[in-house]
Amino acid sequence: MKVLTANRLTDGEVVFWTGEAWSERFVDAGRYDNDAAAEAAEAHAKGQTTLLVDPYLIDVDEVAGGWAPVSYRERLRALGPTNKLDHGKQARGGEDIALLAHAHGAARSKGRVDLIRRK
Amino acid sequence: MYRYDEIDREVLADRAAEFRAQCARRLAGEMTEDQFKPLRLMNGLYLQLHAYMLRIAIPYGLLSSAQLRKLADVARTYDRGYGHFTTRTNLQLHWIKLKDMPDILDELASVGLHAIQTSGNCIRNLTADPHAGATADEVDDPRIWAEVIRQWSTFHPEFSFLPRKFKMAVTAASADRAAIRVYDIGLRLHRDDEGALSFEVLVGGGLGRLPHLSPVIRDRLPVRHLLSYLQAILRVYNRHGRRDNIHKARIKILVASLGPVEFARQVEEEWSLTDKAAVDLPDTELARIRAAFAPQGFETLPAVSTPFEAAKSSSPAFARFARRNVLAHKQSGYALVNVSLKAIGETPGDCSSEQMEAIADIAELYSLDEVRVTYEQNLLLPHVKLDDVPAVHEALAAVGLATPNIALISDIIACPGLDYCALANARAIPIAQDIARRFADPAQAENIGELKIKISGCINACGHHHVGHIGILGVDKKGEEFYQLTLGGSAEDDAALGQVLGPALPADRVAPAIDHLVEVYLRERRTGERFIDTFRRAGLTAFKEAVYAQAH
Ligand code: SF4
Repeated sequence: MKVLTANRLTDGEVVFWTGEAWSERFVDAGRYDNDAAAEAAEAHAKGQTTLLVDPYLIDVDEVAGGWAPVSYRERLRALGPTNKLDHGKQARGGEDIALLAHAHGAARSKGRVDLIRRK
Repeated sequence: MYRYDEIDREVLADRAAEFRAQCARRLAGEMTEDQFKPLRLMNGLYLQLHAYMLRIAIPYGLLSSAQLRKLADVARTYDRGYGHFTTRTNLQLHWIKLKDMPDILDELASVGLHAIQTSGNCIRNLTADPHAGATADEVDDPRIWAEVIRQWSTFHPEFSFLPRKFKMAVTAASADRAAIRVYDIGLRLHRDDEGALSFEVLVGGGLGRLPHLSPVIRDRLPVRHLLSYLQAILRVYNRHGRRDNIHKARIKILVASLGPVEFARQVEEEWSLTDKAAVDLPDTELARIRAAFAPQGFETLPAVSTPFEAAKSSSPAFARFARRNVLAHKQSGYALVNVSLKAIGETPGDCSSEQMEAIADIAELYSLDEVRVTYEQNLLLPHVKLDDVPAVHEALAAVGLATPNIALISDIIACPGLDYCALANARAIPIAQDIARRFADPAQAENIGELKIKISGCINACGHHHVGHIGILGVDKKGEEFYQLTLGGSAEDDAALGQVLGPALPADRVAPAIDHLVEVYLRERRTGERFIDTFRRAGLTAFKEAVYAQAH
């Protein structure tokens, strides 16, 4: 399963594509089980240059109670830094945040699909 | 300290206005991200995991109270009320919005601050001995030369597109507090018997994927030729540096592949063809810059201070602070006071806006208006009267900044790691926090003595792990955070690269492993030996066994 994510141009906030709009919450993300549909969504996002920086697909997996990014890096993007729990998305709290924060399972830090490391 | 003149101020104002227009064009869709990215990077703006990060230059780690107050204000207004001091003595703000950047640059420019030379393949903001102008073991004030290089290198047209980024460090002291052997160029000033100043020039140091300690390529360079000689080094590098391979593009690879002798020969040849008079700094200009750093405002005081001695005997906590964080000044009756940004359990190098303001107030009142940033991610009040140290201690303690742990096991360097950095493999900060908590008892930490732990979240080595007495490198093993330990590194006079201890450890085994390493040291040490001395004498085996025997 894949989810489409990006950073918002104006403030760098991590956003997820719901299928219709961009949301700040991972729980709202639309999931693609079809690669062609995921890539089409990504291609569309790459055209939204005044809204986004660097849209890309990530792998997600089922965990207890819902879904979480496979990679630890992407979980941190969906939550915020672990040294300041009052910063980032996690500050808002809620069930979706708790689920991500406690998600176990094989976190692969290369969870970004087609990862290209840039400077 | 050097105050920006009319030309500097115009340059900053122009730069801020230029970036304002560039941001507007990007937001309006007149520029793509690919076009905009190099421009924002040239203004210190990176995109990290959660937001944009702004890296603000603090040239040779020197700040006035007004500048530090402005940083506090910018961090509070445009960020989350804190900043992170780095091993390059810059300040990073982790929650910046692109739309605020034009105003932020204007704010910074109003006090002579900016983000120039904090990114890109140019000559970066340089670092210097944080004890400059205050320590008895220096032959000149290295800030003078650092400022000369800053002015020469800023927007240098020939060196704005080097094969890779380029970092320099300068010291004029016998003790290396600027890690001069791990940068592209390290400069150490010497004074001969006749009083003439010269530079020892080291080239080709660097950490990262292929770490190197720099060799000396010129033993004594007369100081008047500094700029023409630097130009010759950079020309050889610009011509022959490996632009084809990003992993081999730093000058360290060129120096290592040619060998220091051949590299030096090519530099000398280039230099011999240089019209030196056209490049070297005129004496009048040097005198102008030198005057900006002339000692000012010192009083004639006795070497022994009654209030300082009385506070030491009446308060064990103050006595410990005096032992760990207070150092002798070249001026009688004065001291250097280290401000640790390593409070137990906090993020190494982080400083809140309130803390920055408190330090700015203390510096204005008690330290001739100056603050220094050290590459070990601490701050320093360089010119405090011994009589005032008790008051300074009290004021620092009131904002949680009187941790007496300078150079001890909890004075850990840690890069932002995977909590913030887009390049990271693993987190660095929580590892540092774990270790510091384990050694929170100040008496125990003092008994262990000098022990420098340095942590990087990836091989780029911003946390200097190769040169830690204990180095810790975050690696990614099948998607999990693992940590590789190295022992025996140093960035100081006994500079060395650490040796790998053994297979990488999972996160929760790192702090216990440090415990075992310390146990071996305490068992094996001989009188007067620091951790690294015992390691060098006794070798890797005993340490390795202690960690890996326990790991199973
Ligand atoms: S060492 Fe790696 S993880 Fe740490 S700040 Fe540098 S690039 Fe980021």
